[in-house]
Amino acid sequence: MSLRFPAALVLSLVVLFLIGPFLIIVAASFSAGDTLAFPPQGFSLKWIAKVFTVESFRQSFVTSMILAVGGTLVALALGVPAAYAMSRYQLPFTETVRTIVSAPVIVPGIIVGLALLRYVVVPIGMPITLALFLAHTALVLPYAVRVVSASLANLRADIEEAAVLLGASRLGAFFQVVLPNIRGGILAAFILGFVTSFNQVPVSLFLSGPGVRTLPVDMLGYMEIVFDPSVAALSSLLAFLSMGIVFAAERFLGFSRYV
Amino acid sequence: MFHNRTEALLLALPAAVFAAVVFLVPVAILLSESFRSPAGWSLAAYAGFFSEPLNQTVFWRTLKLGLEVTAVSAVIGYAAAFAIVSLPPGSKGRMIGLIMLPMMVSPVARTYAWIVILGRTGIVNQALHGLGLTDAPVRILFSETAIFIGLLQLFLPLMIISLISALENLPKDVVPAARVLGANWLQIFWKVVLPLTREGLVIGGTLVFTGSLTAYITPAILGGSKVLMLETLLYQRVTVANDFVSASVIALILVAMSFSTNLLLKRIATARAGT
Repeated sequence: MSLRFPAALVLSLVVLFLIGPFLIIVAASFSAGDTLAFPPQGFSLKWIAKVFTVESFRQSFVTSMILAVGGTLVALALGVPAAYAMSRYQLPFTETVRTIVSAPVIVPGIIVGLALLRYVVVPIGMPITLALFLAHTALVLPYAVRVVSASLANLRADIEEAAVLLGASRLGAFFQVVLPNIRGGILAAFILGFVTSFNQVPVSLFLSGPGVRTLPVDMLGYMEIVFDPSVAALSSLLAFLSMGIVFAAERFLGFSRYV
Repeated sequence: MFHNRTEALLLALPAAVFAAVVFLVPVAILLSESFRSPAGWSLAAYAGFFSEPLNQTVFWRTLKLGLEVTAVSAVIGYAAAFAIVSLPPGSKGRMIGLIMLPMMVSPVARTYAWIVILGRTGIVNQALHGLGLTDAPVRILFSETAIFIGLLQLFLPLMIISLISALENLPKDVVPAARVLGANWLQIFWKVVLPLTREGLVIGGTLVFTGSLTAYITPAILGGSKVLMLETLLYQRVTVANDFVSASVIALILVAMSFSTNLLLKRIATARAGT
């Protein structure tokens, strides 16, 4: 630190304000007391252990995992070809596609959830699980397209033309030349999509049925009834999970280059 | 560059059709619902919505909180960004990492922590009581103040990051030059730094403002069922009152606000590319 006193003080206060609440959550997870409080009363692992025994948390964790992994994979399956078309073919309609695909970012999630429930789920009797899956995929799609587009923009288009000239089919050139080169970008898009989907609440608020809830929505519901440190424990576990994923990605792939 | 139309269409179509069917069409129907009345197209739903005092209060509260959070995060953001850009490269990187760390934590967990801090038996109340400043717990939770604090913590990192990149693009010698010419710190900020970092401020401001307007979890947890914002009001209108007309009006207001601030952002981005 080579800051003069006022600057150092301001910065410390800002960091305390941003990080402090997170540290309190972590500390509260190890409390021996029965209510959420700080400073924690004693030390125990009972709340961390309790998280794993709550049936609804287990169920909603699995739901959230399936949505985050599956939704992101489908978003990539749709998004990678679209990103490729937008970066390699300059046609008027590719701009339209870009606008349509990135629109979900502008519309608040709660509205997407309500619209799907009212005009798709109810009229055609679509199962809630499927609607949730579609909503999470639509939510992740803009990120997938954006991140993959960025890594395609960094890859020169003439290498696949060269591969085609050397006798590869267009599809072959894509799988043998382009795909290996944008692997890092695809993985970055997957991680960003996973974290976005896993932490997201508003899209899923209206889309829940008996036994079908995402983990954050389930946590919100639990908090309204019980005020024990188990939600703090669960929050810390999830925070470390997503931080671990992001840090591993940054370390091994230089993830931030793509975002 | 390839020019095969059919090929490009086949590649881009699945994503576009998916987004249109799952997202665009249902949302468009929901928004159009707000203009519909038994007699045809009308603005009756809007008149009805705004004639209720509660709805007016919530509307102005949402707008006010959005502006307050944006303004305060700009002030704190400049101070923090200034301090960070003057750090040596190594500690600068670590500091940026630290600022971005909360963004990886689930918003539910982040907001939840504020209950421990601001609640009746929370840290703030314990401190106030310990210092002999209060006899009874002060009610901070379930108030606008609580929502403000929660939103500020949620979105301040976005402002700081935007301002850091703006300040890094500031030519190295403009501030020393202004100082040599006799300007004081306030003059340097208003006449030199602010005009040159306006873009970063607008980008950060847009992100913070739209984020605050459309946040759900923070007002839901920290505002409770009494201190509503537009998103929490929408949820209540649907779940408690089954009132889809109000819900569609709120939806349109939120989309319009979010869309227009994003349009502004895009304007500025293209203006920069043009110069």
